[in-house]
Amino acid sequence: MTFDPVANLQLLVSGLAIGSIYALVALGFVLIYNAVGVVNFAQGDFVMFPSYVAISFLLPSIAIFGTIVHWQLPLLLVYAVVLVLMIGFGMLFTRIAYYPLRDRGWMPVVISTIGVSIFLRNAAQLVWGSQPQVMPSPFPVQTIALGPLQVRPQDLLIIGVTALLIAFQYFLFERTTLGKQMRATAQDRDAARLIGIRVGRIVTITFVYSVLLGTISGLLVAPIFTVTKEMGALIALKAFAASIVGGFGSIPGAIIGGLAIGVIETFGGFYISTAYVDAIAFVILIVVLVVRPQGLFGERVGEKA
Amino acid sequence: MSRRRWLGLAVLLIVLLCVPLVVHSDYLLNVADIAGIYAIAVLGLGILLGFAGQLSLAQAAFFGIGAYASGYMTVHWGWPVLPSMAVATVFSGLIGLGLGWPCLRLSGHYLALATIGFGIITQLVLINWTSVTNGSDGMTGIPPPSIGPFTLATYGQYYYLVLASLALCAYVAWRIKSTRPGRALQAIRENELAASATGIDPTRYKIVAFVLAGAYAGLAGSLLAHSIKFLSPDSYSFDQSVIFLVMLIVGGSGSIGGAVLGAVLLTFLPEALRPLKTSYIMVYGAAVIAMIIFMPRGLAGLLSAALGRDAATAARPLANPAQPAEAKGA
Repeated sequence: MTFDPVANLQLLVSGLAIGSIYALVALGFVLIYNAVGVVNFAQGDFVMFPSYVAISFLLPSIAIFGTIVHWQLPLLLVYAVVLVLMIGFGMLFTRIAYYPLRDRGWMPVVISTIGVSIFLRNAAQLVWGSQPQVMPSPFPVQTIALGPLQVRPQDLLIIGVTALLIAFQYFLFERTTLGKQMRATAQDRDAARLIGIRVGRIVTITFVYSVLLGTISGLLVAPIFTVTKEMGALIALKAFAASIVGGFGSIPGAIIGGLAIGVIETFGGFYISTAYVDAIAFVILIVVLVVRPQGLFGERVGEKA
Repeated sequence: MSRRRWLGLAVLLIVLLCVPLVVHSDYLLNVADIAGIYAIAVLGLGILLGFAGQLSLAQAAFFGIGAYASGYMTVHWGWPVLPSMAVATVFSGLIGLGLGWPCLRLSGHYLALATIGFGIITQLVLINWTSVTNGSDGMTGIPPPSIGPFTLATYGQYYYLVLASLALCAYVAWRIKSTRPGRALQAIRENELAASATGIDPTRYKIVAFVLAGAYAGLAGSLLAHSIKFLSPDSYSFDQSVIFLVMLIVGGSGSIGGAVLGAVLLTFLPEALRPLKTSYIMVYGAAVIAMIIFMPRGLAGLLSAALGRDAATAARPLANPAQPAEAKGA
């Protein structure tokens, strides 16, 4: 095989796009982990569920509980509606799956997020049926020419929105009181409470923010993936892997880990094996865990006496 | 154990032995077989998580490795079933050694993730290594086991093989728990550093726990293979590992009876909910959330509270196994 710079650049663009999705979902993991010390196993379903809600309003006709509806609404309105609905959902999620278990260590919360995940996946199947759905693309064309490159406009949108979100988050955490309260809560909850931060509220906001990160990645990725009840599962597992590769708990680590996994996986799928493309992320993960368990940007993993 | 407990166990065993004599529905006996098989895999996870505090989400991978290994040896090499099952059990245990060793440095969420990765890679191998596994089409023609001239053909007959294996596994787990290795594992769960300061070698004991967890799941998988006689890679997914974990936690992770009870209850619960048709797994998800909120010590805790014993001795809740990554949040 000869080296083709154009083909490789195209691979890079789609790798960065899917990597951006992993990065956003990984951020959702890391923010919740930093705030309350648990991994949220329903994070992938926060990608899947809003995608279903969105297609209910976007497709010209869709069966809901077996009844055909025609709710076709303008794209931006649908995005806004879905985001608002998911804010409510995030608050409900915190209240039910986290709040009653907050003083019982991490394992019960992990189990209850698994319960939420089972519930959401099967609720989706119940409401929308088991047939895969395709979200209409916001762009009229499949690919656009960028110099010699043929790229999907959706890929560019994904990369652009992710960059904006990361910039927004940087501003939020570094420049606003709310962001500083979120960071303080993540660092030390008791100390944060002592200086008057309303920790319960900040935790809820963190959960809602993570739900919204999942929602946005779902809305972005749905036009290039099919919408199924399982769509979030693999994305979430790879994002989780990405966050560990980057160094669990580290925000830049999650972003760079996500992008790296997306790019390596896309190149690996092209050059090595399409059958094992989904294994690539986990092979990288296990190698990183064995060679450098703290990840690229993490603190050293070691037991404190 | 007190004399009353021995008596209770004996009565329970007699009742369990009578089940196929009373129940004649093939469907119910099949579900009972599967419940027993799951209970073995969950017991293995219980040794790893409940005793040693190491969270693994690869239990379904070992379950699949045992199933495929035993299936392959009987179908392609023409081996008799019971020796194949024994070899498959040992083989899964060795793979457990292979996973446990590089993962020794990890704990908590990190370990969970490494094991998830292992599980997904295993499933992809099962799907893509078609010359051995026959890929997504599945492995067929797996024979039922026979003891001498007697073949265990029906679900009712198979039930006794499952029950015997489960009893053996539960006994081994109980012996481990109530002797030095079990106390060593629990010391490691509570505080690895302190455990090693008292002369316990955490490396050795953690590896033993990994090997046992793998072997238990391998035995369960091989039992499944010769019961349903058809293997498909879908059955050994990450979701199945999660189901094993939920069974253990709902049952009460440090408790042997709890692990078995959790597996049996959560195998029969979806079956009982089947009249709800499409929504039954959804209700199951909600039930899992409710159980974890309202039964902090799992079924084992609930049961011993009902029997008036101190719940703490029966099932310690898994509050916070030694986890360095969370030292800052604690």
